[in-house]
Parts: sequence; structure tokens; C-alpha cells
Amino acid sequence: MTTAVMDPNRAPVAFGRRAVPQLFEQLQVQDPAHKVRALTSLCDLVHEPERLYQTVTGGFLKQLQVLLQDEDAAVRSKTCELLQLVMNHSIGRSALLASSLLTPLSDLMDDPSASCRTNAHRVLSSLAQQPAGAEALLSLVHKLMLKLCQLEKVRQEKQEEEQELLLSTLTSCSRLDPLPALASDGVRVLGQTLTHTSPSIRREAAAALMALSVPADGKQQVCDQGILSNLLVLLHDRNLDVQTNTAGVIMNTVIIRPGKYLCLELGVIPVLLELLSEEEDEEQKKRRKTLVIYCLRALTALSEAPEGRVILSTALPLLERRRNEQDEDVRRAARTAIKVVTWKP
Amino acid sequence: MYTYSSHPKPVEIRKYRDLPDPSQLQYGNIMYDRRVVRGNLNGQQVISKNNHSDPGMQQRQQAYRRRAIARKQAKDQLKTKTPEAIQGRQHVDVQTDSFLEELSNIIQVSEMDCQTDDFLDKPSTPLFVPAKSGVDVETQIEEGDLFDFDLEVQPVLEVLVGKTIEQSLLEVMEEEELACLRTQQRVFQELRNNELAEVQRLEEQERRYREEKERRVAQQKEVLKKEEETAEKIAARVFSHQYLAGLLPAVFTALRNHGYFYDPVEKDISVNFLPWLIAEVNNQLDKRYAAREVLDNIIYEVTQKRLLEFTHLMSGQNSCCDS
Repeated sequence: MTTAVMDPNRAPVAFGRRAVPQLFEQLQVQDPAHKVRALTSLCDLVHEPERLYQTVTGGFLKQLQVLLQDEDAAVRSKTCELLQLVMNHSIGRSALLASSLLTPLSDLMDDPSASCRTNAHRVLSSLAQQPAGAEALLSLVHKLMLKLCQLEKVRQEKQEEEQELLLSTLTSCSRLDPLPALASDGVRVLGQTLTHTSPSIRREAAAALMALSVPADGKQQVCDQGILSNLLVLLHDRNLDVQTNTAGVIMNTVIIRPGKYLCLELGVIPVLLELLSEEEDEEQKKRRKTLVIYCLRALTALSEAPEGRVILSTALPLLERRRNEQDEDVRRAARTAIKVVTWKP
Repeated sequence: MYTYSSHPKPVEIRKYRDLPDPSQLQYGNIMYDRRVVRGNLNGQQVISKNNHSDPGMQQRQQAYRRRAIARKQAKDQLKTKTPEAIQGRQHVDVQTDSFLEELSNIIQVSEMDCQTDDFLDKPSTPLFVPAKSGVDVETQIEEGDLFDFDLEVQPVLEVLVGKTIEQSLLEVMEEEELACLRTQQRVFQELRNNELAEVQRLEEQERRYREEKERRVAQQKEVLKKEEETAEKIAARVFSHQYLAGLLPAVFTALRNHGYFYDPVEKDISVNFLPWLIAEVNNQLDKRYAAREVLDNIIYEVTQKRLLEFTHLMSGQNSCCDS
């Protein structure tokens, strides 16, 4: 490849089938700059599915394990990047799970170099998207929680991305099984994270809370620790995703009775109604669809309580309007809401 | 400023037999004098300059030594000396002058020195240009003689650009695919969340209804039980009323029947007086009976005695009669 000759950052790549094996052989050399160049070329190559397949089936991933514990930070960070590209395909993901790369990866989370940590988090986060991966990572949840506590105590700018990725990993794991995260006092830590300045972190924290509030224990904790007032503030947030996730948490929490009454006290209903009543155009509708559905479900749960029913019976026309919308899911949700509001014992 | 008794002078070397200039001293650098021992003298073994291992050399050396001795002896013989002292006398060296004067050949020395200017650089040697030889030839490349750059560069460029674009297309496609997957996943997650919330709400509702029902049923049972109890209580009350209603006259009647209501005088008479009366009457009667009894006893005794006496009499009479 001519680019290899011209680009000093990349090692030269052999032709055809020899490309990947030869680059891996070059990785055996002790010189770190050499290794970085070889890794960069590998990153370029691995985008192609054929090469990826070759990498995975050739059993080269074991070499990467040694590289993950290398002394030079650039080498480690590049290896993580390579792993992340490998994760883009399912065959890579299953290979990663089968190999024993998880332990060095989780050790890399405490690495002194920031880019290394970020890349390691990226790998873990994309691994967690798959259910088998999330299952494998469940044992790490406790450690992830501790890391999150640490990051919360020291709020720095460059650690934002790391925190975001960490939170998304937690969310994916908790969707599968929220119990380990709940056991590690997740609700309290996430409650603190909700007040972070960066919107992406708030969004991820709210998503994680939504996953955690699915079991009854989580709901109880959310009510007990007074996170609902924070959530109410977040409902007024400008970022749509943050609003959506917050509405989701509220939707989960109001299912239990203490949640209902707390929300009624805090006056959540008017806010939700306001969110529903906003006029939208076509493309905004698509984006806000989830928010609308969550609001409707939350209102449905709130109207199980008699006081809620009283308040919501005045808002029936709004719900009627939603019922006549085009989207099937929104219609269904609105119908259920109306049914519950107009129920007489 | 130093003053010397004798001025320092360099060590002479007498290398040449004839001095080139008798007024000039030939002196050498003492540092490079072979006669001077250099270095550390500790443990330095004295090497005799006559230490030759070669026997021929040794013989030659001995011959030299012998000849030298012989020469010396010959020389000594030729040398005129002062005659020997006569017997009884001694030769003595005497200095006539009062001041000693050194006889030496003082060579008048004058020094001259010369110094070049500060670091005058040696000018660079001019280029050695050999004399021209050979035939002059010249050539000129015209416009179209060599390759046409634009034509030739095209395939190279194509490859370069092609590879880059291929790579970037791959990456873009990958990203798009990933984005698609992510969107799908997100949509699925949202639906799942929704349905999960719905399921939980319905569960909760079910639970509440069930609890409500149970509570109502329990309440109903309570009510029934209470009613039963009340009915029982009422029945018991009525019965006891009835029972107790006839109780009082029955009691009174019974008491009266048992004689608990009495006339006190009558009672007193019957209880106290009459028994006493009867007891007294009994006593009297007893006394009479006792008296009668006594009387009876007396009469009986008397009669018995009389009977006895009569019998005795009778018998006595009989016996008297008989006799």
C-alpha cells in the first residue's frame, strides 16, 4: 500500500493474506514506536470484515493480551482502539468474550494514562451492548460503581468522556440484571451524578437510574433517597434525551404507592402535562415520541391514585388529542391512560 | 628575580665530534634524553648495561674490556707525570693564589626569538583543476522527450486516491451500520421500557385490586361475625330476661315454702316456750315415772321378801309338822 510508505505513522502492510499475520509478527518487536505503527496499520485494516475475520480466527487476540500490559501507554491505548474496532462485529465480540481479555481490560480502567482509560471504557461499553457481554461484565459492576464514586468526587473536565462511557456500560449491564448495581449503592451515586454540568453525563445517569428503578427495591430506594426532586428539576432540562430518560425514571418510580404520593406532593403532574401539550411538527414528533410515551405511562400510573384521577380528569381533552395521533404506540398509551383516568371503582 | 651562584644551563649532548659552531652549545631536550630514567623508580631493577646473553657478544665485550685496559695502561705509560718524590720528601698540592678562579670556557650566548602573528589562517588551497582533456559533448532535453508527467501520474494518483476512498468508504459504511444498529437497539429498548412499565403498572394494579378485594372480603367477614355475635347476644339477653323475670316470685315462694318468713312471736313460742314446756312436762312425768318405778321396786322387793319369808315359814312349818 502506497499510503504505508508515505505515512510515517503506519507500518508497511504486506499484500493480501499476509497482511495481518505479518503485522502481528511485527508486534513482537520490543520497540514501542514500532509497535504503535503496526497497531495503527492494523486499526486501518480491521475495518474490513475479511481482515477482521482473519484476525479473530487466527488466534491473534492472545498477543493483544500481552500488549495490554505493555509499559508504554501509547501501545496500550492503541491496542484498546484495535479491540474496539474488533468489537464492531459480533464475531469479534464473541471472540473477546471467549478469550481472557476481560481481566487486563478491567485493570486498564485504573491506568494512569487518560486516553488509555477512555479507550478501555469504550471497549467495555460496546461489549456491554450485547447481552452475553453484559452478563460477563456483571461481575465487574461493583468495581465500576467504585470507579464512578471516585470520578464523582473529583469532577474534572477531561474525565467526562470516561464517566459517560462508564455510565453507559453500567446502564447496559443493569438492563440485564439491576441487582448487583443496586447492591453497590448505585441509586445514591447516580443521584449525585444527576447534578453534573455536562448534559451527556446527565442523560446517561438518568438512563442508568431508569434501568435500576425497574425492580421494586430500586423504586423504593429512589423514593427514599429523595432523588425525585432532582428528577423534577431535570424534567425542565433543555436536552431532549435528558428529559426522556428522566420521564422514564419517573414512570418506573410512580408504580409503587410511596412513589405516587411523593410525586403528587411534588407536583409532577403539571410538568408532565406541559411536556405533553407542546405543539410539535413532524420531525420533532419522531424525536419526542419516546418522551411522549413515557409521560403518558407515568400519568397512567399516577392516575391509579384517586387524587391523581381527580387532577387528570380535568386534563382529559389533552389525552384525547394524543389518542388520535398517528403513531400506534402513542395511541395505545393514550388509550390506556384515558381508561384508567375514567375508571370508577 | 632569582640570583644564582651558577646560572642554570641546559645539559649538553656531545653527539657530534666536531661542533658545527664552537661558540654554540648543542643541548637536547632533557625530557627526551635517553640517559634519564623515566617513571616510577620503585622496584625498578637495575639492569646492567653489560647484561648480554649472547656468548659471542660476551666474548667481544671481554675483548673490548681487555683492550681498553691495555690502551689505558699504554696511555698511562706515555703520559708524562711529575717525577716521584725523592726519599724522605712528599709532594703536596699547593694553591698559590688567594682567590680561586674557575677556569672555564664561557661561551657568549645571545638569544633571538621570533613569533608569528595570531593565527593567520592558512589560506585554502585552490581547487585543483586538472588540465582539460577529452572531447566536449553537450545534450539538451526537449519538451516532449521524457515522460509526460500528467499522463504518468494518473495511475499512481488513482491508486492513492482509490485506496484512501476505499478505506474511508469502509469506515463510513461501518459507522452507518453501527448507527443503524444503535438506533434499532434504542428503539427496542424504549419499547421494552414502555412495555415493562406498563406490565409493572398492571401488576401493581392487579396487586392493589387483589389486596382491595381481600380487604373487602375480610371486612365482610368481620361484619358477618359481628352480626352473629350480636344475634347471639340478643338471644341470650332475651332468655336471661325471661328466666330472671320469673325468678323473683319463685324465690319468694320457695322461701316462704321453706318457712323463712315467720311470725316471730309464734316462732319464739314454738321454738323456745313449747320445748321447755314439754321438757318440763317430761321431767315431771319422768319424776312420776321414777317415783312409780321406785314404788314398784319397793313393792316388788317387799313382796319378794314376804314371799321369801312366807316360804321360810312354810317350810319351817312343814318341817315342824313333819317332825
